[in-house]
Amino acid sequence: MMDFDFNPEERVLTCIFKGRLDTIISTQISAELESKYSSLNEKEDSTALLDFGLVFDLKEVNFISSSFIRLCVAGKKKVKDGTFCILNSDPFIKKTFKIAGLDEILDVK
Amino acid sequence: MAENLMERANDILERAILAAAEFQQFNQEQTDKVVVAVYKAALNARIKLAKMAVEETGIGLWEDKVWKNVIGTQLVYENIKDEKTVGVISNDTVTGISEIAQPLGPIFAVTPVTNPTSTAIYKILICLKTRNPIIISAHRTAAKSTGEAARICYEAALAAGAPEDCVQMIPAGSREFTQTVMAHPRVALILATGGTGLVKAAYSSGNPAIGVGPGNVPVFIDESADIPFAISSIISSKTFDNGTVCASEQSVIVEDKIAKAVREEFVRQHCYFLSPEEIHKVENIAIVKDSMSMSPFIVGQSVETIAEKSGITVPVGTKILLAELKSVGKENPLSVEILAPILAFYTAKDYYSAIKLCIDLNYLGGIGHSAGIYANDNKRIMEFSQLINAGRIVVNTPTSQGAVGGTFNMLAPSLTLGCGTGGKNITTENITVKHLINIQRVCRRKMNDKFFSVDRSKYLDENCNETDLRMEYHKNH
Repeated sequence: MMDFDFNPEERVLTCIFKGRLDTIISTQISAELESKYSSLNEKEDSTALLDFGLVFDLKEVNFISSSFIRLCVAGKKKVKDGTFCILNSDPFIKKTFKIAGLDEILDVK
Repeated sequence: MAENLMERANDILERAILAAAEFQQFNQEQTDKVVVAVYKAALNARIKLAKMAVEETGIGLWEDKVWKNVIGTQLVYENIKDEKTVGVISNDTVTGISEIAQPLGPIFAVTPVTNPTSTAIYKILICLKTRNPIIISAHRTAAKSTGEAARICYEAALAAGAPEDCVQMIPAGSREFTQTVMAHPRVALILATGGTGLVKAAYSSGNPAIGVGPGNVPVFIDESADIPFAISSIISSKTFDNGTVCASEQSVIVEDKIAKAVREEFVRQHCYFLSPEEIHKVENIAIVKDSMSMSPFIVGQSVETIAEKSGITVPVGTKILLAELKSVGKENPLSVEILAPILAFYTAKDYYSAIKLCIDLNYLGGIGHSAGIYANDNKRIMEFSQLINAGRIVVNTPTSQGAVGGTFNMLAPSLTLGCGTGGKNITTENITVKHLINIQRVCRRKMNDKFFSVDRSKYLDENCNETDLRMEYHKNH
């Protein structure tokens, strides 16, 4: 349901999600994301902002829960310089972010 | 303080909008799975919730509140379960028009003290069926039982896969906060059931609203009616939950020629006609004279309680207190809406005088709501109906149960009854799922041959008048 691709030169973590991201799956993903963030962040303080950019790739996602949208918002807030974007959302997912009023803040492409 | 209110409102609406975003991805099957789960849980809790509501509010009768909960759950569910509320809901190959249902977004629902749990459940069901998250604002006196109804529904909805926060409650008791949420730009629609002030606040909020306010239901018993049947029916309605339904009978109007028979029948069926002195005593406790409105302390109270508070003695087992009044308005305070087993009684010298009285009563605070007629003469039924400004004219039927639909007639079962523009409402219908969807119409090209066959130059010719253009439009081609 999730793969990671870290580009060490540009310091950007791409999280590639798949399938139906309902509440239960989003809860599982949350822990996995946190652990990935910590492992890559060069700062030792776990509450520190991330020193790399985040990309959420939703190419193969067909449903997002409100919990997943919260994960996106949390990701955006966690990135130090705000380099966060969502890639490859299908039109239905794009509309979902639009209805949530978050498509611009989360830079949904 | 104001900032704090706004922050709290923002939090609630942010949750609701995320729920809305998730919900709009549901298909019909997923939506219906949620609705059936909520219906089952709420129906199973009908007795517990009814008892809680009576205990908390001190209003009405728990057995009748069970009945209302059944209307709000089983009857509403049976009515909406097969409705298409998601995606393509119709496809007309003749007109080339397809209809697509879209949800509205967060719905702010205000629920009353008189029918707290039934209204909450009904609103939750119709909101979830249309994929709209709901934010409930309960009457402060019924917050606990309404909250319990909402909790039961929400847990069942979540277990069936519904979005988090699809049902939320706001704390009761703060009018300022209620109005802040009501006016929040992210509220898609307000579904307000309650008093005039509340409905006005809803319409003044700047958000779209379906607000449904008070009634003052006149019931005309025509000479063609079956009198014992009519009286029995009126009693069953006016005593239902101690008269708390806003569609309950408020006054009975008859012609002189049948007045004696109607009076005798009321007495025979254990109703009590108050003397002029007793009317005055009941007025003193039932009506707030400054505002000419019913006292909240008598809403849903029994005859015994009202008699005791008024300092009058009535026969044991009395079902309704009848006040024979001469006119409508300030000089007769009992002519206004009273949600308790107190009923005004008027006689008129002839049919037209009786109807004119009904019109006066109808316009005394109850325009657009409901009215009743007992008659077996269809001509009179239709004449009465055209003269009365009411969303529902209930025929040979108890108005409390009749107006809410689903039992005595085929009206949509509903605990929110539209009162039309007379009641400052947008519709006269019983509010149901069709009012909670945006219908998009896909209009395929279907040329209007008549329009396109008209010689266009004629429209530009000053010498062509309406007759010429009509002939041109309708010519054979």
